[in-house]
Amino acid sequence: MELTRYILRRMVLSAFVVLGVTFLVFIVAQVVPSDPAALYAGPRPTAEQIEKARQELNLDAPLIQRFAGFAKAMGTGDFGVSYKSRRLIAEDLRAYLPATLELAVFSTGLALLIGIPLGVLAAARQGKWPDRLGSFGSIAAVAMPTFFLAMILQLVFAQWLGILPLSGRLSREISVTAPLSMMTGFNLIDALLAGRLDAFGDALKHLILPALTLASYPAGVAMRLTRSAMIEILERRHVTAARALGLSEPRILFGHALPNAMGPALTVIGLSFAYALTGAVLVEIIFAWPGLGRYVSEAILAKDFPVIAAVTMVVTICYVVMNLLIDIAQALVDPRVALS
Amino acid sequence: MTRLVQRLGWPGTIALVVILLLVLVAVLAPWVAPYPQQGVGVPNVAAKLSSPSAQYWLGTDHLGRDMLSRIIYGTRISLTNGVLIVAFSLLIGLPVGLAAGYFGGWIDEALMRGTDVFLAFPALLLAVLMAAALGPGFLNSIIAVSVTWWPWYARLARSEVLVLRNQPYVEAARLAGVSHGRIIIRHILPATGRPLTVQAALDVGPALLTAAALSFLGLGVLPPTADWGQMVDAGRKFFPARWWYSATPGLTIFIVALAFSVLGDALRERKGGTARASA
Amino acid sequence: MNRRHFLQTAALAALASATSSRWNLAMAEGSGSIFTLAYPTSFPDLDPATSFSNDGAVLANVYEGLTRYIPATETAEAKIEPLLATSWDVSEDGKTWTFHLRDGVKFHDGSPLTSEAVKGSIERTKKIGGGAAFIWGSVTSIETPDPLTVVFALSDPQPIDLIASAGFAAWIYAPSSHDKDNAWFNGGNDAGTGPFHISRYEPGQRAVLDRAEDYWGKVPEGGFQTVSFEIIEDTTLAQNMIESGQADWTYSIPFENLEAMKANPDLRVVVNPSFETLFGLYNVKRAPLDKVKVRQALSLAFPYDDVISAGTMGLGTRAKGVVPAGIWGHDAEAPIPQTDLKAAAALLAEEGVEPGLELVMTYSTTQALSAVAGELWKANLETLGIKLTLQPMAWEAQWQLGKSNPEAAQDIFVMFWWPTFVTPYDYLVSLFHSEEKPNFNLGYYSNAEVDAKIDEAAKLSGTDRPRAEKLFIEAQRKVIEDAAAVFMVDRPNVHIIRSDIKGYDDNPAYGHVTFVNELSR
Repeated sequence: MELTRYILRRMVLSAFVVLGVTFLVFIVAQVVPSDPAALYAGPRPTAEQIEKARQELNLDAPLIQRFAGFAKAMGTGDFGVSYKSRRLIAEDLRAYLPATLELAVFSTGLALLIGIPLGVLAAARQGKWPDRLGSFGSIAAVAMPTFFLAMILQLVFAQWLGILPLSGRLSREISVTAPLSMMTGFNLIDALLAGRLDAFGDALKHLILPALTLASYPAGVAMRLTRSAMIEILERRHVTAARALGLSEPRILFGHALPNAMGPALTVIGLSFAYALTGAVLVEIIFAWPGLGRYVSEAILAKDFPVIAAVTMVVTICYVVMNLLIDIAQALVDPRVALS
Repeated sequence: MTRLVQRLGWPGTIALVVILLLVLVAVLAPWVAPYPQQGVGVPNVAAKLSSPSAQYWLGTDHLGRDMLSRIIYGTRISLTNGVLIVAFSLLIGLPVGLAAGYFGGWIDEALMRGTDVFLAFPALLLAVLMAAALGPGFLNSIIAVSVTWWPWYARLARSEVLVLRNQPYVEAARLAGVSHGRIIIRHILPATGRPLTVQAALDVGPALLTAAALSFLGLGVLPPTADWGQMVDAGRKFFPARWWYSATPGLTIFIVALAFSVLGDALRERKGGTARASA
Repeated sequence: MNRRHFLQTAALAALASATSSRWNLAMAEGSGSIFTLAYPTSFPDLDPATSFSNDGAVLANVYEGLTRYIPATETAEAKIEPLLATSWDVSEDGKTWTFHLRDGVKFHDGSPLTSEAVKGSIERTKKIGGGAAFIWGSVTSIETPDPLTVVFALSDPQPIDLIASAGFAAWIYAPSSHDKDNAWFNGGNDAGTGPFHISRYEPGQRAVLDRAEDYWGKVPEGGFQTVSFEIIEDTTLAQNMIESGQADWTYSIPFENLEAMKANPDLRVVVNPSFETLFGLYNVKRAPLDKVKVRQALSLAFPYDDVISAGTMGLGTRAKGVVPAGIWGHDAEAPIPQTDLKAAAALLAEEGVEPGLELVMTYSTTQALSAVAGELWKANLETLGIKLTLQPMAWEAQWQLGKSNPEAAQDIFVMFWWPTFVTPYDYLVSLFHSEEKPNFNLGYYSNAEVDAKIDEAAKLSGTDRPRAEKLFIEAQRKVIEDAAAVFMVDRPNVHIIRSDIKGYDDNPAYGHVTFVNELSR
């Protein structure tokens, strides 16, 4: 009963947050010191062209009326057209959102894959050099500027070693001569569905460097959380008992202690996903990743407001939904959460 | 000194020394920079893009300015950035948190749900959105980051107040008819201040990291002011052939952020807390 | 995703990537007939009526206009070449133009090129009225006396032969597309007569073109079957792609990196003058820039040579007024100032300008050359006691500020100008002709004598080009004398192309357009 109430409350609050975000985005838009009509009218418009655009965009309507129109557009997912390209934004989002989500999911996986085993190792060797090295590594991962890490990874893996591609989502050979038909928009899944192992491998190779860049921070956090959770559990009685029974150390670690340390993993998933959505702006530019980050940064440069608003809304909704799911999952794993 | 090392451990002490050195360099920039004029921004075209040498220890940029001097002058911007972001955020976050925690009820609910809206934005995206709306510039970029930063302090302050609110001496003051404003200022603020100050000081690191990300995107200070993030971006066009242009400011940002991180870690004494996310 | 599943995926991936590298190799051997261009900007609008941006690079390979402009070289004069029209003539008063169309040309949908198609295209372009449609402003009616003859009637004399050669809004497209909307074209459809048709368009990523059947023009031996326009914003990536052979052509590589590329035997660095001039318009409505001598002093303080050497690695050229070299109306002997700080100081003293004057220069965030010019200028002005604030802005915001109240606007508006079609008129009328409400004359310069010369020259440019040229040059000299603007530098056009590509020739009249049909490997 408590749990249901908790979940309901969280859902209502999430809806409220989304509404607040809509309002905030609209307010920010009013501050932007540029004329949307001039942008909509093209690169070198005449005064008449701008006037025509102003009418088409209904820019002279009162503020309230425009907010109502804006909220309706955001609510229905009909984001209108980009002022700059006049393309349907919903259509662009369909192309870019999966790319960003693919990167976010993959980097989250990578963060767990790197962070959790390292955390277990550090806990098992508490106070010894793997532990110290690990803690330092995790601090360094947090302090590393994303854009700088991206450049270093490109330098080492793409330019010096030449084993991974510098940028993009697919090689030119595949994208130009034998393109994947878009089904889900996730290249890895589309490639598998089409039975194209070549494209799958290619897509995977392109994913590694940007995902690694985004995974460094959450991996550091995952490591620390796992380590402290593990240390706490390793000192508990049933583990001590298992040890007394003569079970091997790896079995204790992975069989008994680790399952109990899954709580932190959930936290990390939420954090990493959020971080990937945020970091996308920087990482997608550097790796020429055709996702929301690159899309929105171009729109920001051009003050293409409908695009900025649409991306902000979509990303925020992803973010809020993800947080909601994590909170619910955490409440299910550990009902104490719901009571606090 | 020995006591300091005992309290912070070696890594923490080194980090503290690095940070103090940094502050010193920022203050003494005109005296420690080999070419103060170039540090401020005067071009030196004849020496453009020289590699590191005895004359220019870290090489020069695309206008021939000494990288070392630029980085030294950049210290001023970066530290002011970090400090001001944290200060602005405290200025907004602290009152909100205090009011929410102290009064509770619908005030608490309203203030904290408002805070949630800001927290729901991915931080960098909101900062970029704000910076784009305000236009590039030193103060604008600070405001942009502060907007994403203050909710943390609001939450922190609120949770501190929740504990203090029911302390006997606060109760006593309230029963004695002392006004709310006075209680907050005289009793609650000093007690919440300390943990918050420590947290804020440590946040200078992540804050300047976020500011660097903004200026990397071209939304930071105006040229020719030296700024690390902007330097990394400007140098990226010449990377890796002229690696020093991007790598030296990039490494500087890393070292400074690392120092703050290590110090924070030492102060938290190996608790499994999470450090602040930044870009 | 649980751990076991993850490991399985990873193992599968390792397997797949081994297969794919073999496959890549096989592909690379057979990829000789793809020409890949790395473009730094996206193609916002593929509608031939409204396209007015870098999309012209794609459209110029898909569509054709009636004529094409071939710029002057050291050995030959500029000329207008027949394209879809084979010949044309103009009436005495310059108000009636007759074009004879090429026979046997087919649109990509199979329909033939007719005078009706030409009329329909231009009428659709005019009706939508977006992009550069204003170039047809003087056309009052289009007659089609027979299927291969088009007659334009004008309200006032205009050089329709030049206008028809424009890289924007002058495309001729198939009648079947005249009732289509913008979205149809931006969905990756086309209706041109050009050597290629669009086979795939992924916005923000690439446009892939394939050779059109039945192209009327000549196709060189070993010409390309496929053209891929890859959108690569990052110059580091573009450079890497061209060096590794993943791209065959690119531009906007930082000038500083060109030395190394010139030394690379796989690459050819092609430097040409561009038709883009960088200049700063002085706000003549605001003190103390309302005084000619103050403006002259600022222009004398501009570090022309340093900007060429530091900003363009010596590849740029001194701007001689607003009309760049290669366009008729260019004034090679223009009386341009040389950097002279002493003379500048003297002029400032004469006008009683005290040290401590503060000026604001706005420029577009994306223009690195403007930033360099600004930083160098700022340093010079500092020695004169003038503080120049550099204010980078998004273009739209910069323009918005410029168009608002001149009293409250910037002091110096820095921008590039490129011609819509090749005529000095475009530069002069947009930037220095009096405007009631500022649109692009963002220095708010207004001079009746200059206006009269520009207007008169415009009337003559269809019928008496030498006389028109003389008037344009006179107008420019007056602008220079009045120091209405500082003409900073003519930007070089630098294109990098793989050295195994044959037949490459840059045409600055079509900025950063590559006519792929003429190339082969």
